Amino acid sequence: MSTVSDAGTTGSTRPRRSARAAGVDVLERTGLVLFLIALILWFTIDSTSGDIFTSGANIRQVLSNQSVTGIIALAMVAPLVAGYFDLSVAAIAGMASVTMAALVGTHGYPVWLSIVLTLLVAGIAGGVNGVLVARFKLNAFIVTLGTYTLIGGLLQLYTEGQSIANGIPESFGNWGSLTWLGVPRPFWLLIVAGLVLWYVLTQIPFGRQLESIGSNERGARLVGIRVDRTIFLAFVSSGLLAGVAGVLLTSRAGSADPTAGSAYLFPALAAVFLGATTLRPGKYNVWGTIVGVFVVAVAVNGFTLLGADAWVTPVFNGASLLAAVMISTLFARQRESMARKVLLDGFKREEPADPNTNELER
Amino acid sequence: MSGNPAPIPDPSLPSADDAHATSVVHQGRSVLLEIIGLSKRFPGTQALSNVDLRVRRGEIHALCGGNGSGKSTLIKILAGVQQGEPGGMIRVGDESSPADAVTPAFADSAGVRVVHQDLGLFPDLSVAENIALGSSFPRRRSGRIDWRRMRTNAEELIERFEIRASPKTLLRDLNRAIQTEVAIARALQGRESGHGGILILDEPTTALPAAEADALMRSLRRYAQAGQSILYVSHRLDEILRITDRVTVLRDGHLAGVHETADLDEDALTTAILGRSLAHEAAVKHVPVSSAGVPVLQITGLRAGPVRGVDLEVRRGEIVGIAGLLGSGRSTILRSIFGDLDREAGEIRVAGAVLPKGSQSAAISAGVAMVPEDRARDAAFLDLPVAANISASVIARYYAHLRMQDRKMTRDAASLMATFGVKAASPAVPINTLSGGNQQKAILARWLRRDPELLLLDEPTQGVDVGARAEIYRVVRDAADAGTAVLVVTSDVEELAAVVDRAVVLRGGRFVAEIAGSALLPQHLNELIYKDVPHVDSV
Ligand SMILES: Nc1ncnc2c1ncn2[C@@H]1O[C@H](COP(=O)(O)OP(=O)(O)OP(=O)(O)O)[C@@H](O)[C@H]1O
Ligand SMILES: [Mg+2]
Repeated sequence: MSTVSDAGTTGSTRPRRSARAAGVDVLERTGLVLFLIALILWFTIDSTSGDIFTSGANIRQVLSNQSVTGIIALAMVAPLVAGYFDLSVAAIAGMASVTMAALVGTHGYPVWLSIVLTLLVAGIAGGVNGVLVARFKLNAFIVTLGTYTLIGGLLQLYTEGQSIANGIPESFGNWGSLTWLGVPRPFWLLIVAGLVLWYVLTQIPFGRQLESIGSNERGARLVGIRVDRTIFLAFVSSGLLAGVAGVLLTSRAGSADPTAGSAYLFPALAAVFLGATTLRPGKYNVWGTIVGVFVVAVAVNGFTLLGADAWVTPVFNGASLLAAVMISTLFARQRESMARKVLLDGFKREEPADPNTNELER
Repeated sequence: MSGNPAPIPDPSLPSADDAHATSVVHQGRSVLLEIIGLSKRFPGTQALSNVDLRVRRGEIHALCGGNGSGKSTLIKILAGVQQGEPGGMIRVGDESSPADAVTPAFADSAGVRVVHQDLGLFPDLSVAENIALGSSFPRRRSGRIDWRRMRTNAEELIERFEIRASPKTLLRDLNRAIQTEVAIARALQGRESGHGGILILDEPTTALPAAEADALMRSLRRYAQAGQSILYVSHRLDEILRITDRVTVLRDGHLAGVHETADLDEDALTTAILGRSLAHEAAVKHVPVSSAGVPVLQITGLRAGPVRGVDLEVRRGEIVGIAGLLGSGRSTILRSIFGDLDREAGEIRVAGAVLPKGSQSAAISAGVAMVPEDRARDAAFLDLPVAANISASVIARYYAHLRMQDRKMTRDAASLMATFGVKAASPAVPINTLSGGNQQKAILARWLRRDPELLLLDEPTQGVDVGARAEIYRVVRDAADAGTAVLVVTSDVEELAAVVDRAVVLRGGRFVAEIAGSALLPQHLNELIYKDVPHVDSV
């Protein structure tokens, strides 16, 4: 992470800090990661859950299970950076899953062609959201809630409520169950998706443009950013990622369930918001999102092993959403009131334009 | 500006007479507001160090100082929005508090009423609701909000302050000048009775054209005569000289002096603020650009909003000003050129090529740059770093070797900050931690770094201190000398007269006059602007 130039945060610019304030800052940035580690330790040590929790099978299970959630959560990030909700990603993933199964199974297309076509369909679905939001200026939250519901319904219509399982080739159906270097392939896919999105969001101008739009859309327009196009592309990229998640979903299940996609909405939302409380606090970010996914997943997994029932999943999804909002508000206040005052004690008064101030931490 | 051949002591506003000369300072008058030993530190900046301030009853007291000298910070502490450091003391009337313990509740009960620099209004609420939020919503006996009373309260205030808006209008549909009026009305409601308390205005006139500013000056004078104490912050020296009784000057967070206004003239005040005189540097040359010069901007038959058909040419190296009243369509012209507004008719050419309607990116790639009037709404990315703000116009240039070159971006931003005198702890702090004037300079840097063919400036020096104002125009002149064509709108006619090579006067949607050379005098400009019944379109 150290090479990520966090141009968007002030934290990286503080040359010297008092111990207390530095503590707050570090805690804020790494709190969620520490929490994840603490959870893992706890479930490992606890004798009821320990053995199973640390078994290879369970770890692989969690890693690959969460990869779909993770990619769907990542799909929400780009529009959110620009200040737009995309609730439809889970439905688009479901649609991609069904499309994939139908193409490869029902119609017998080759796998590679089916993947390409599926991603195309998912990208177009994202594009439709993008047009409605960017071109027609409709409220993104409502538009994507609409497409979420609509797609769900269309899938029911198309599949008549049945799963598509026939004719899916073994090679494709098994891909998601295999491991590479001992780690499930879906997890690798998540990491690759994360890397690509991270690159797009932080290392090319597109990401900065999204960030500007998220900060001040009119201002962005007036510095020449093609706001509509950028938002449109954010939704397309979101659709594409959701498509990847859908293909993975079909591969892992060996079939496509028309209702499977929509269940991912809330876990993904929770992950994205949790992610925004960490690493680059206050900003939606890729690695934070992935950490967020696993915080919820490990908690659910651990408590299930401790004997909790079906209630645990919704409770944790809901609780983490609330916690995410609370944490960011609390810490923002901390920053305002205390950290501001204390942080730069001993920061010698400097000439305004000292270029070195930003380099000290690198 | 003091370097003009004919000194212009008269602020040249048509109805200034009654606001003048009325100020009588009673030396023995008791002190209403007293601040002793106030300090405040921000990361990287000592915003205030050991500042004292005393405001007498019924006095208009000016708080002056360059950008980032700590004026707004002092006011925020007084209002309880930020905390001072231990050791300082604040007293208002009979109530006093340590500087680190001032709360909004204390400020409120002590009668501190503030119109902050950013106005603090809610754009999505109506005028009536914004006003009601300043006190508490009127309630019925049942506890429900009494909407009818809220509306009538607002109507009364709107009438009293002559605000050109209805109670139901949403704030974001109003321009800055009217928004300022709403903010002032909100702060002053229930104050006409004039019992104690202090009204604080932080640069209320930055967005106000002369006539509106003048109206405000007169009402402030009236309140002061009724016994209201006022603490007044402005970078417009003429206002300070005209209406205030005494002046406290801050420089880099230190108390630099307290003066009786009567002892000051513009030069002396400038010197007090900057610690040096501008007299020898202020003279900006007018360059008569030969009419044979290459036209960069050619407008023919432009119609948009209040603009009813104007033609204009601006040539390479020329600085042209548009003078006119609020609502006369000055900003409309700039925004149409920049593609921020769809024009109804007319042709706009930049360097010979026709600009399509409503496309900023086309305008920008043709080499047009615009510094808009409303910084917070249209220009600043408030939560992003200064570096990102300064680089926003050239962001693609920093993509090299497959990644964003953030270090280079920060380094360049730092050197531009030095060039433009942007005072900030580092290029990486969010721009909303900068003082207002420094934000403005950062936005100017954003555009001037592109070496534009055509530079459009809408009130470029709003909130900028006297020193920096001269600096900004020097930079603009340098750009012009390097070939940029500049079109500037400013409500400050003296500034206009001092910096442009040629001015056109916009009235009733048309250019009614064009003046250059020795005719370019503030009085003359004012006569042309105000001739006839002013045709005021709202917005
Ligand atoms: N929230 C903040 N965090 C960090 N620094 C701040 C913050 N607010 C103000 N400052 C710094 O404190 C100094 C004083 O700022 P202040 O806004 O009081 O200046 P000012 O006199 O009102 O200037 P202007 O005339 O430009 O409005 C500036 O250097 C500014 O950058
Ligand atoms: Mg200020």
